[in-house]
Amino acid sequence: MSAASATSADSVCTNSAILDRWHPVAASHDVADGAVHSTTLLGVPIECRLAAADQAVVTRCDDPGAPVAAMVAYECVWACLGDPVEPLFEIDEVGERDRRIVHAGTVGVHVSAPRAVENFLDMAHFPYVHTGILGVEPHTQVKDYEVHVDPDTNDVWATDCEFWQPLAATTSTDGQMSDYRYRVPHPFNVVLYKTTPVDEMRMDVVALFCQPVAPDRIVAHPFLCLLDDDNSVASIRAFQLKIFGQDKPILENQVPKRLPLDPRAERPIRADRVAITYRRWLTELGVTYAVIPV
Amino acid sequence: MITLHDYVLSANCYKVRLLLSLLELEYESVAVDFHPGREHKGTAFREVNPMGHIPVLTDGEHVQRDAHAILVYLAACYDRGGTWYPVDDPARLGDTAQWMAFADATASTLSAARLAINLGYDLDLDAARLGGHEVLRVLDEHLWFQERAGHDWLVDGATPTLGDLAVFPDVVLAEEGGVDVLDYPAVRRWLDRVKQWPRFTLMPGVFPFTTS
Amino acid sequence: MNTSWFPVADDHDIIPRHVVRASLHGHELVVWRADDGNVNVWENRCLHRGVRLSIGSNDGAELVCRYHAWRYANRSGGCTYIPAHPADAPARTVQCATHPVALRYGLVWTRLDGGDHDDPPVLDALESDPFVLRARPVAASAAAVLAALESFTFAPVGAPPDREPTVECESVPGGVTVTATVDDVVERVVVFVQPVGLGRSVVRPVRSGRPADPMVAWRHHARVLGRFVDEVERLPPTDADADGVVEVAVAPPVARPSSDRRTVRIERKWTTADQIAAFELVDPSGEVLPVIQPGDHIDVHLPGGLVRQYSLTNAPGESDRYRIGVKRTVDSAGGSAYLHEVAAVGDTLEISVPRNHFALRRNVPDTLLIAGGIGVTPILSMAQALARVGLGFELHYFASSPAEFAFEEILEALGPSVNRHVGLDADATSAELERLLAQPGPTRQVAACGPPPMLDRLRRLAADAGWADDAVQFEYFDSGEVDRSSVFTVELARSARTIEVATGVSVLDAIRADGIELASSCERGACGTCAVTVLDGEVEHNDVYLSPAERAADDTLLTCVSRATSGRLVLDL
Repeated sequence: MSAASATSADSVCTNSAILDRWHPVAASHDVADGAVHSTTLLGVPIECRLAAADQAVVTRCDDPGAPVAAMVAYECVWACLGDPVEPLFEIDEVGERDRRIVHAGTVGVHVSAPRAVENFLDMAHFPYVHTGILGVEPHTQVKDYEVHVDPDTNDVWATDCEFWQPLAATTSTDGQMSDYRYRVPHPFNVVLYKTTPVDEMRMDVVALFCQPVAPDRIVAHPFLCLLDDDNSVASIRAFQLKIFGQDKPILENQVPKRLPLDPRAERPIRADRVAITYRRWLTELGVTYAVIPV
Repeated sequence: MITLHDYVLSANCYKVRLLLSLLELEYESVAVDFHPGREHKGTAFREVNPMGHIPVLTDGEHVQRDAHAILVYLAACYDRGGTWYPVDDPARLGDTAQWMAFADATASTLSAARLAINLGYDLDLDAARLGGHEVLRVLDEHLWFQERAGHDWLVDGATPTLGDLAVFPDVVLAEEGGVDVLDYPAVRRWLDRVKQWPRFTLMPGVFPFTTS
Repeated sequence: MNTSWFPVADDHDIIPRHVVRASLHGHELVVWRADDGNVNVWENRCLHRGVRLSIGSNDGAELVCRYHAWRYANRSGGCTYIPAHPADAPARTVQCATHPVALRYGLVWTRLDGGDHDDPPVLDALESDPFVLRARPVAASAAAVLAALESFTFAPVGAPPDREPTVECESVPGGVTVTATVDDVVERVVVFVQPVGLGRSVVRPVRSGRPADPMVAWRHHARVLGRFVDEVERLPPTDADADGVVEVAVAPPVARPSSDRRTVRIERKWTTADQIAAFELVDPSGEVLPVIQPGDHIDVHLPGGLVRQYSLTNAPGESDRYRIGVKRTVDSAGGSAYLHEVAAVGDTLEISVPRNHFALRRNVPDTLLIAGGIGVTPILSMAQALARVGLGFELHYFASSPAEFAFEEILEALGPSVNRHVGLDADATSAELERLLAQPGPTRQVAACGPPPMLDRLRRLAADAGWADDAVQFEYFDSGEVDRSSVFTVELARSARTIEVATGVSVLDAIRADGIELASSCERGACGTCAVTVLDGEVEHNDVYLSPAERAADDTLLTCVSRATSGRLVLDL
């Protein structure tokens, strides 16, 4: 059983809050040049390929005749195994012409998607897990920040986040107080807007799209939309994979792997404000897959 | 000037970075887009290494391929104490080479499982894991007896060798391939000892040994 | 079976500063030894985000989680520091699940909750000179291994080769005793079986008596056991043993208002300085004491209803006793006089659990610790905590005469960071404080404790010198004042009671003090467990749990952190 083909009867998703959403299933480079990419989504083995540059085809291996909605966006192929009632969320910056758009490469992780999202929303671990890059002791404090759920889009936002970072991006040469905004537009996808050393008025966009393979297993798709004309794709990817590689053993040592939604199950603190809201929001959306419901 | 064709998540590249640090050697790292770019299989990189493997080290005019060959080369050139590759002591040299060869067994098991999980390589994961446990059992028993005999390292003697260095990366990353090291306490203690080497460096997935 | 004692590690393997991961019946355990020799066996998970503590680090006094560096204390498993919020003392509810530990026959034993056996088994064969052989993991259940052990056989070490040994097996709790004999060579080995989890176990053999050549015996038995394990693993798996892998309890028990009071015994009493008596207090029955955080104090309840607060001087990891210093004061109602003159070693005292109004921030590299007289007590605990984590500090200790410096042994251990100022009058003290406070900066902080006049001066001087408010922490001692700036009343509509909530006391604690039970968990406004409905009054929401809309509705209050902006709140309780 490999990361991309893990499947068992009880891992097939029946939760419409998840089944009816779009999920990433392949990086664009995985289906380039006519390649067929085999993987697993929500317990269902699938195959992905491109019929045209922007036209993806996804087939269920267990039921090749069944229609599967598919599309290409953000350097990924996306699929929906249910009814795609909502369009995929927008990342406006992707349309800006001077942006570098990079898929940093998929990584299989033995953890649930919402645990990975929560880790992405977390600043307090920077000095300990990304030592010398995204944080450094003794700058350990997480200042209070604001959290709200956008009444129009129903996205969770954390704003006014600040953290001291010694080497925040490939373009950094020195430490800086970084400003972050986090956005959760989808139960398993999270977008970060952060200060760039290149332009005071604009922000780098870093996203983590989690492909839920099983309730306790994902393929992570790190996605970058940067203001960076200097670094090679290889070094941009190396930086992002280094960061994610540091998170991975933490994620794989979280017990239980599924995210407990009962607020008493773990001990939140003020710094976890966005995670507290995220867990309540998952409950309100009716998410039961990859979580331990209240 | 030393240049290393490098990939941040490669255990084999890590071996070389580790020795470069231990020997206090300055070097330039050239990022190879191993994943997802598969740059190591591209035409340009094959001019550096026709085998299409990383790491590759260049030192002046000399180009060295193969992680273990690079370790031997660096130790021969720059290890003034002569401890990492003990050519003056045939028994210890033989044991060092034996443990470096043992790392081939960790590569085909522990490292293979890690590649399957992390990068989705299509291979027999169950077999790789089972083999990984066999390798770890052998290693744990050897290290347990080494401890009882008063030896901290894989090869008898006061100092570690390239044997420790070659075996360490795949073992410390074993759990990324889903091979649980719960059952190998002597291995875990040895990992802690390696992490306490002066100028030890980390790679993503490896935690430091810290006591505060 | 789950409630019995089992060995989970070889004592020899629990080396200093190492962290061992173990498993019993599918429950993951973390095993670590503090520098004082105490071995801890805890549930292997940080309470915050469920990360295995076995990937963390052991600093000799505390186990530190790898993810956010939450620190958990030797013995109690209580959290002592949360770096994301340097100025806040962690809630006392943040405490790892701990398991009882016994060291016997060279093995570390524990049992999961609910057992009624007080100790691991006692075996005559191992009472003198037990010799631990190498343990082996087995890919088979404990039941399968125990069944196979009934026919376990081996040749005693040192017996002539090619001779069939006579072997006797006898069941013992959690294992078998096997006695092998060839002629006059007799060897007895007790093989304990640790049930690890689903289809997994560890066999842990212990030999009766130390062999003539340990290495020969270890090698011999490693071969014997290796063959045994190979055979067991070749047997078809059985489901005789239902040891599963346990998914840890999702919701730990909600914190109950644990009794605030406990009885301690005076273990040691000595004169540590002129007019200062030192006491070491231990639990009379050897139970683990609640966690200590730097800057903590306890209430000591004295005859006649007197209650006095004393700060703890303990270092991190020093968790088997509370150490306090008591200065004799002539004008007191007799509290210090009682402790000085009457209280004796062996006596018991009623105390409160430790509390903290004086948290030590550790997010600045340079701390100026200032102590006046007996105010040194919390400062000592802070200095030792900073020394332990390698943060820089200077301790300035003011006293009237050399004889008044207390706890010399701690000061000695702190070394050159300690500066003594002897016999300065008020003006000279001010001048010295002014000099010490001359250079504020973003990388510096001040923590001070001493007599009110000194602290008043210090606060003024610090403000004049430009120190930020939050860079100066202080604790007054001997202050009779009660800050009434944020006192309000809470009416409990259903209980028909009115409670006054004092400054520094939470609504939750005030309600509980009145005898009403209310569940809580995080006690930091983050989990919503202690929410109550507000019927009237305006709420000052200090939590991070409620949404903006819920706050605006003003009909819910998290009693652990939120307060009233009106003088009165009416709650549906």
